[in-house]
Amino acid sequence: MFRLSENPINDNDLKKLTLDDECGGFVCFEGWVRNHNQGKSVLKLAYEAYPKLAEKEGNQIIEEAFEKFAIKKALCTHRIGTLAIGDMAVWVGVSAAHRDAAFKACRYILDEVKSRVPIWKNEHWTDGESGWVEQE
Amino acid sequence: MKNIKVLFFGKLKEIWENNHLNLKTESSNIEELYSELLKSASSEPFKSSIKVARNDEFCDWSTTIEDGDEVAFLPPASGG
Repeated sequence: MFRLSENPINDNDLKKLTLDDECGGFVCFEGWVRNHNQGKSVLKLAYEAYPKLAEKEGNQIIEEAFEKFAIKKALCTHRIGTLAIGDMAVWVGVSAAHRDAAFKACRYILDEVKSRVPIWKNEHWTDGESGWVEQE
Repeated sequence: MKNIKVLFFGKLKEIWENNHLNLKTESSNIEELYSELLKSASSEPFKSSIKVARNDEFCDWSTTIEDGDEVAFLPPASGG
């Protein structure tokens, strides 16, 4: 399941929901707000989404991961709103019987979410300026 | 005339200086609607990078629009 969250991500709860007795592998990716980007000193980030379409597209990506890889559970939560340095922006967790599928599915979900889900990042720099981040 | 709600996100909000517009239009599809909207844009965005959606579904530029539709213009995603 994919969801947007206006509140801090509780990674412990998400991990508990993703673990499964049938699975020997759990892979997780956490994306954190860092203090610099492209040579600029970052103060905070403001994430904006098109919520209905973002949740639809995010869940579509997770369905695709289930079709492509032998996984048992997959969850992804993405923050929206204003985040400070050191806040968690995105969490992806996957459980599978074996590690290879878990690693691949986690990478797939993260990469597709970043490129396809309608979420946009506005960087606020320490010099007082701000700007929308272009796709990497 | 159709009543259409247009949504702008990310940097497109700054180009149109608004996050949404309610307008009456005779445009028959999203491509025509976009051309009409360009007249009120503060600069011309890089069109090939924009994705479009109609009533919360991604769609093509050639998609027909109907009275009451909500049409969204989406710059490239930058989540994560």
